Amino acid sequence: MPGEELRELANRAVAEIAGAADDAALEAARVKYLGRKEGALSEATKRIAKLPPGEKPAYGAAVNEGKLRIERALEERTRALREARVARDLGGEREDMSLPPRRVRVGRLHPISQTVREVSRVFATMGFETVEGPEIEWDYYNFEALNIPPGHPAREKWQTLWISNPLGDDPSRPLLGRTHTSPMQIRVMEQRRPPVRVVIPGRCYRYEATDAIRESIFFQYEGLAIDEKLTMADLKGVLFSFARQIFGSDRKIRFRIDYFPFTEPSAEIAFDCFSCEGRDPECRVCGGDGWIEAAGCGMVHPDVLRRVGYDPKRYQGFAFGGGIERLAMLRTGAPDIRLFYQNDLRYLEQF
Amino acid sequence: MLIKMPVSWLREYVDISVPIDELALRLHMSSTEVKGVERPWWDDKVRVGRISKLAKHPNADKLQLATVEYGEDRPKTVVTGATNLTVGDIVPFADEGAQIIDGHTGERTTLRGKPMRGIQSEGMVLSAKELGQGEDHDGIQVLDRKLPVGARLRDVLGETILALELQPNRPDCLGVVGIAREVAAILATGLREPPVDRLPERTSRDLDVRIEDPVACPRFAAALLTGIRIGASPTWIQQRLIAAGMRPIDNVVDITNYVMLELGQPLHAYDHRKLRGGLLVARRARRGETLRTLDGVERVLHDDTLVIADADRALGVAGILGGEDSEIREDTTTVALECASFEPRGIGRTAANLGLHGSAGSAAARRFSWELSPDLVPVALARAVRLLREHAGAEVSGVMDRYPKRRGVVNVRMRFSDIPRVLGIEIGPEETLDILRRLQFVAAADGDTLVATPPAVRTDIAIAEDIVEEVGRIAGYDRLPVRVPDGPLPLHERHPLQEFRERARDGLAGFGLQEVLSYSLIDPAWLGMLTADGSCIAPEPLRVINPTTVAQSAARPTLRASLLDTARRNLRNRAGVAIFEIAPLYLPQRGDLPDERWTIGILLAGNAEPVRDGETWLTPERPWDVRDLQGYVLALADLLDVQTAGDQVDAPGLHPGRSLAFAHDGRRHLVAGQLDPRVAAKWELPAETFIAEIDLSSWLDAARPPRVIAPPRFPAALRDLAIVVDEATPYRDVEREIRAAGGTDLGSIALVDLYRGPQIGAGKKSFAVRLVLRRATATLGEEDVDRLVKRVAGRLQQALGATIRS
Repeated sequence: MPGEELRELANRAVAEIAGAADDAALEAARVKYLGRKEGALSEATKRIAKLPPGEKPAYGAAVNEGKLRIERALEERTRALREARVARDLGGEREDMSLPPRRVRVGRLHPISQTVREVSRVFATMGFETVEGPEIEWDYYNFEALNIPPGHPAREKWQTLWISNPLGDDPSRPLLGRTHTSPMQIRVMEQRRPPVRVVIPGRCYRYEATDAIRESIFFQYEGLAIDEKLTMADLKGVLFSFARQIFGSDRKIRFRIDYFPFTEPSAEIAFDCFSCEGRDPECRVCGGDGWIEAAGCGMVHPDVLRRVGYDPKRYQGFAFGGGIERLAMLRTGAPDIRLFYQNDLRYLEQF
Repeated sequence: MLIKMPVSWLREYVDISVPIDELALRLHMSSTEVKGVERPWWDDKVRVGRISKLAKHPNADKLQLATVEYGEDRPKTVVTGATNLTVGDIVPFADEGAQIIDGHTGERTTLRGKPMRGIQSEGMVLSAKELGQGEDHDGIQVLDRKLPVGARLRDVLGETILALELQPNRPDCLGVVGIAREVAAILATGLREPPVDRLPERTSRDLDVRIEDPVACPRFAAALLTGIRIGASPTWIQQRLIAAGMRPIDNVVDITNYVMLELGQPLHAYDHRKLRGGLLVARRARRGETLRTLDGVERVLHDDTLVIADADRALGVAGILGGEDSEIREDTTTVALECASFEPRGIGRTAANLGLHGSAGSAAARRFSWELSPDLVPVALARAVRLLREHAGAEVSGVMDRYPKRRGVVNVRMRFSDIPRVLGIEIGPEETLDILRRLQFVAAADGDTLVATPPAVRTDIAIAEDIVEEVGRIAGYDRLPVRVPDGPLPLHERHPLQEFRERARDGLAGFGLQEVLSYSLIDPAWLGMLTADGSCIAPEPLRVINPTTVAQSAARPTLRASLLDTARRNLRNRAGVAIFEIAPLYLPQRGDLPDERWTIGILLAGNAEPVRDGETWLTPERPWDVRDLQGYVLALADLLDVQTAGDQVDAPGLHPGRSLAFAHDGRRHLVAGQLDPRVAAKWELPAETFIAEIDLSSWLDAARPPRVIAPPRFPAALRDLAIVVDEATPYRDVEREIRAAGGTDLGSIALVDLYRGPQIGAGKKSFAVRLVLRRATATLGEEDVDRLVKRVAGRLQQALGATIRS
C-alpha cells in the first residue's frame, strides 16, 4: 500500500512538472516535492526510519524510485523550458543591424609616418639598417664634405635656409636646415667601417616657394651601401626591388644621366607609371611621358670616401635619395603635398 | 640652368637624322635633362603684316590707327598704343579669333575684336610678349623687311625649341656647339664647329691688358676694334637671340650675346673713350671703392671683389655686372672687347654677396660661376671679332691675350676593367674607344690601360670614374643589368629611442588618437601666446636667417603651439579633436648643434563622445576632461613600461589646479593638464582644452623591461574599505600608505567611490577602495585577511589621521 501511495505521489509530481509553464512554476513544483523541509518526498523519506525493519527495504526503494522519476522530470522540463526560451528568442524580435554601432575611436598614423616606415621596412629586407641624424646641420656635412664648397654652382640646386643660434653664431661654421639627407652619408661613414648598408629617413629644408608638388619643409630617404665590389648594377637592383615592393611586381625601372657632386657616375631613377603604364598622354600621375622620377643616385665619389678615411682603391659603393611625400602621393593619389601638413583631420582620417 | 635651344641653330653644327622627339629622349637619357620640346603654336590667323598707313585715333591721344596688309584683299585697321611703328614696318598681325598671349596676364587667349574708344579694332599687331617670345610688351615686335607679307608667321619664324636643364658640371653645354657635340656623339655623326680665324697678337698703344690676380683671373684677352658703326644686328642674329629668349639691343651687344649662346663664353664690350690710360686690368677692389653698375645701383665693393678696372677706377664687377659709365652707346666707334676666364668659386661667392647669384644673376655671371675652359677665350674672341667685322664695320687695331699660368692637359690613365668594376657590366675596349672619340676625347689603349684626354672644354673630367660615366651614359644605362647585391651584410645596431618612439606612435594610434605632423618651423609670435602673461615656456628658439615666410622662421622649441593651432583649425568643422604628434624639439646649445629632443604631444579638446559628431543615439554627448588625458598618459606609460615619477614641478601655461608636471635632473619629462583658459582664449579654443607633453628620451630612461610571473593559482580575497580623510589629503597619499602597509599580499587597489556629505562631516571626504588580496603560495585564510586589513587601517590612521568605516 505505501508503495502504491508513493507511486501516485510521483505520478502527480511528474504531471505537475511537465505542466509547469515557466521557471517559477517549475521551482515551486521542485520545492513542493523535493524541498528539504516540507517536500512530499522528504516527508516520505523521514517516515522510513519509523517503519518496521521488514518493510524498510521495499519502502526505501519506492522512495528512491519516486525521487529519481521526479528529478528526471525536473531536468527534462528545465531543458524544455530553456530550449523554448532560446527558440522564442531566435524566432523573436529582429534587431535592425544596419543601425550605427557603438563607435570605437580609430587613430591612424600620419601618411608620412606610414611612408617612412614602409621605406624602412622595404630596405630592411635588403639588409639596410635605418639610422637617423640631425636636421639642423653644419654647412660642412651638408655641403663641403659632399664636394660642394662655398661658391660651388651646385649650391643653386639646394637653396638653403640658414639658421642662427640664439646662444651665438660662429661665422666659420654656418648652421643650416639640412637641404637633403645626404649629410648622413658622411656622419655614418665617419662612425662605421665597411661594409655599410643604411637608409636614413628624415626631415629636410629648402629655401623654396611651395606649390602642389613642392614643400620647403619635407621628408627624404637616403640610402648608402659601401663594400668592396658594389656596382651601379647593384644600385639598380636595390632600387628595382624597392620599386617592386612599393608599387607592384611588374614595375619597370629606368636610369638616366644626372649630376650630383658627391656621386660619380650619377643617375636619376624613374619607375614606369603604375597608373597609366605609359598609355595615357594626359596621365596626372606621370605627366604623360610614362615615367615617374623617383630618386637621384650614383656611385659614391672617391673624394667623399677619401674624406671619411675610406680607401677608394679598396672600397666603393652607392648612394641614393628620394622624396617621401612623393612616394606617399603616388601611393595614395594625394592631390597636393601641402595637405599633408595642414593636418585637416577630415583628410588625415582617410589614410 | 634652364636654356632654350633652337633646333634650327643646332642643325647648323650637326646633322640630326632622327625625329626631334627621339633626339629629345636620347639627350634626356644620356646627356642633359630635356624639360620639354616647344613647338610653334601660332595658328593660321597669325600672319606677317605690313603697316600701310598710320593715323591718329580721333578720340584718344595715345592711340593710333594702323592699317595692316596681310595678304588678303582688304587690309585691316587695328587700334594700337604702340609708339614704335612707322609706315612700311613688317609686323606680326593677329586676325580676330587668333590664339595669342594676353600681354597682361601672360595666359594664352583667343583674340576678340573690340571697340577701343569708339573704333573697332579688326585684329591686333603684336608685341614679343603677345607672341610668347619673352617679356617685352613695350612695343610691337618689328620683323625683318624681307619676310613675305601674308605668310603664316609659324612658317617663316616658327622655331622648335628644346628646353634644357643644364647641370653645373657641364659648362661645355652652355653653348649650342656644346650641345651639338653631345648630339654628334649620341647619333655617331660629325660635328661642324663654327668658322674661327685665329687672331694674331697685335700690341696697341691705345689698349693694354693686365692681370693682377692670376688665381681669380687666369686668362684675360681683349681686342681693340675701331670703325664700329652701332646699329641693328642682322635679322638672323636677332631671330636666334629671340628664339633663345634674349632681347636684341644693338649689333655689338647682340654679337657678344650671340657668341655667348653659341660657345658658352661671355664677352664684354667697353666704349674705349671711357677707358682711362687705355688699360684694362683684372684686380681686387680697393677698400671702399664704389661702382655704378649697369642696373643703375651705386655699389660699395667688398675688397675681395674682383673688378675690371682702367688706370684709375673700377669699370665693372668682373664676370658679373658691367659699369654704367663704360657701356656701349649709339655713338660708340671704338670698342675694347674683353674675353676672360675667371675662377668660378670666386664668381659664385661675389655674386652671392651682391645678391646676384642663381637665377637673379646676369647671364654672364651664371655662366662664369661654372668652370668654363680658359681655352674658350681665344676662340670666342676670334668668333666675336669675325662677326663684328662682318656686321658692325669693326677693324682690328689691337689683340692681346694674357694667360700667365696655362691649365695643364688632363690625361686620365685607367684600366679598361675600371668600367665593369664601377658599372657592373662589361663594355669592350673597342666600343669604349669609339664612344670616347665620338665625344672628341683623345683615347688610346695600351693593353689593359686606357689613356683618355678630354677636349679642353670638358673641365668636368678628372678621374677614372668620370670616364666610366662618359662611356656608361653614351653606351646607355639601359644596358646595366639589375642585380641584387651580395657580399657580407653589416651587423645592425639597435636604436632604442627609435624603437621606443615607434611603440609610442603605435600605442597612441591604437588608443584612437589621430597622428598629426606639423611644420617644424613656426611663427615665433606663437611662442608668446602660450602663457597668460606672454612669458616663455621654452628656451629662445633657433631662428631662420632667410625665412621664406615669418610663419616658418623659428625652429620650434615646443610642440604646444603647433598642436593648439591644429586643434583650433579642426574645431571649426568638428565637435572634438583627439590628436598626437611625435617630433623633435630644437633646443639651442652653445657652440654646438641644437639638442633635437624627441617629444610626444597629445591634445584633447571639445567632445569626447560621441565619436562621430551628432551620433548620440547610443552615446550621449560628453566633453573631454582632465581624467581622459591622464588616462591616455598613464596607458601609454603602462604600454611602454614606464614608471612616471620624479619631482613635482609647476606647469607654466596650464591650469594650476588641473595639471601636473614631473621633472628629473631639472628637465620636465611629463607635463599634462588643462590649458590655462586664458591661453585657450588666445587660440580661440574651448576653455576645456587638455594637453600633455612627454620627453621621449627621459621616458626611455625610466622604462624597465617587464619581469613577468605566472598568473596567480590561488583565489583572491576582496575587501572594501571606506577611508575618511581630510579634504586636503590627496588620493595618492592614501594609495601610498595602503601599499606600504599591505606588503606582498596586497595585489591591487581600486577606487570604488569618492563621497563627500553630511554623513562624514564638513572638510572631510571618504574614499571607498577595494583591496585585492592574495598570496602566491596559498589561499589567504580569513585571519590573514583580517590581520592585513587591520594593519592597513592602522597605518592610514597613524599616517593620515584617517578613520576607517566598514
